[in-house]
Amino acid sequence: MIKAKGVSLRYPDGTLALKGIDLEIDTGELVYITGPSGSGKTSLLKLLMGIEYPTSGSLKVMGQSIAKGQEGNIRRLRKRIGPVFQEFRLIQGRTALENVMMGMRFLGIPCRQAKENAKSALTRLGLEHKALSMVENLSWGEAQRVAIARAVARKPRLIMADEPTGNLDHDNALIILDLLTSFRDTNTTVIITTHATHLIERQENATFIRMNGGNISVERRGKAYEEYLV
Amino acid sequence: MKNTLYNAPYFMKEAGRVLWQNRLSSVFSFLSTGLILFILAVIVACWSVGNLLIKTMQDEAEISAYLDRDIGTEQVLELIETIKGMEGVRDVQLVDREAAYGRMKEILGDEAGVLELFEENPFEAFIEVRISLGELEKITERLESLKGINHVRNNREVLERVQSITIGLKRLGYLIVTAVSISTLVIVSHMIRQGIYNNRVQVGALRLLGAPESFIGFPFVLAGLLLTLAGGLLASFVIVFLVNRTYSAMAGSLPFIPLPARNQLVSGLLLFVSSVSILLGVLGSMFGLRSTK
Ligand SMILES: Nc1ncnc2c1ncn2[C@@H]1O[C@H](COP(=O)(O)OP(=O)(O)OP(=O)(O)O)[C@@H](O)[C@H]1O
Ligand SMILES: [Mg+2]
Repeated sequence: MIKAKGVSLRYPDGTLALKGIDLEIDTGELVYITGPSGSGKTSLLKLLMGIEYPTSGSLKVMGQSIAKGQEGNIRRLRKRIGPVFQEFRLIQGRTALENVMMGMRFLGIPCRQAKENAKSALTRLGLEHKALSMVENLSWGEAQRVAIARAVARKPRLIMADEPTGNLDHDNALIILDLLTSFRDTNTTVIITTHATHLIERQENATFIRMNGGNISVERRGKAYEEYLV
Repeated sequence: MKNTLYNAPYFMKEAGRVLWQNRLSSVFSFLSTGLILFILAVIVACWSVGNLLIKTMQDEAEISAYLDRDIGTEQVLELIETIKGMEGVRDVQLVDREAAYGRMKEILGDEAGVLELFEENPFEAFIEVRISLGELEKITERLESLKGINHVRNNREVLERVQSITIGLKRLGYLIVTAVSISTLVIVSHMIRQGIYNNRVQVGALRLLGAPESFIGFPFVLAGLLLTLAGGLLASFVIVFLVNRTYSAMAGSLPFIPLPARNQLVSGLLLFVSSVSILLGVLGSMFGLRSTK
């Protein structure tokens, strides 16, 4: 699913955000990325989505290499990714339903089918009663769940959520994490970055990537995930 | 393609939203493209009238050769035969005094009463010679030298004036058409740029979700197209109204100016305005899209 070899990321201003990372993630893994602020979590996700390119090393996501000159292919790769952005990036002036459908409109799914998928995603996130509300009128937590619905309704092979627990109280953070991890299955990889280490400690059958100053350490916990897959 | 079909209502809605977000600027662009297309249509209408006029007049290049008073019928017939034999002459016809009187009566129409004021027919007999325009000078000279012909009149000056007016009109037209097209393109592309700027968050989100540029750009192109189409519609209404008014006005007072068939002119203008507005709309939005990448 993801193969990184010696990947570094240096921003134009000279900040070295990632320092020669080696990482392999397989299909169906549940991955938590933790680490202090500024340690490079968002930077890593940006690389995985092709928003930034490695300044050295090689990176492949679902077989697609993330590199200059691949813009068209990377755009296509993103269709198979369900991103939940830290700042949601919902589209104002549209209903929750329309926002969720927006992620599917260019996937070649007939409109009716897309609507069905969107509704069932909203329902699964407990938002069916807000489907026709404008997103700017939703509470923070509701908006976040719309963002998640948009990411998952398109049935992506890779779900990536950046700080989905930020700004949430303990209980709601737990609910969101449970929801996100519930989309993990044999075909779907889920990657979550979070500061809330106390919430994920209880997790078994997960991969933990700890970041610090652009370096990573990986721990695979519980049953080897190959077993989990069986 | 499939996506475009599935999303047709969505695209329309988004295009409408783009226009509505910027309603003041939309209304302004609508009015100015309407005005611009109207000016364009007027120029084209003038062209087609001018062209027809020149064409008819070229067919109507003619010389009137006035006869000596005391000329005999024999001589006149001889003259006609001679003229018929000249190169470039298409038709020769004798217009006697009665016929000349009759023609003027027809031209004057309702005003023909003035002719009654003459005690005697004031018109002279002449030979009407229809020729090809190129031969006008040569034939005029030769006719003047013929015996039995008093004097000769041709309509060269009128023809030349019409021709030079039409050429001037054409030059002016090209200039205006160019200026008009450029300003429409600027207006539309500016609209689209503005629209994309206002929707940059949405555009950014769609890019991150993997939407192709064509999908992202389509509503904006559609908005530009709707704008120029609406402008074109406005221009069409006004021009059709104007053509109808002109035709009814001309029919009474200036019957001898040849006008193109009204339906033909109108449908030609409509076709022209709509294709130009489509072209300008699409091109303008494309430029607008281009400039934001
Ligand atoms: N566009 C950028 N240009 C320059 N430096 C950047 C840019 N984006 C991030 N950085 C820097 O790169 C480092 C890693 O940033 P990153 O956003 O990946 O951290 P993070 O782990 O996501 O932090 P947080 O937990 O606060 O979200 C930081 O030092 C940050 O200042
Ligand atoms: Mg971050």
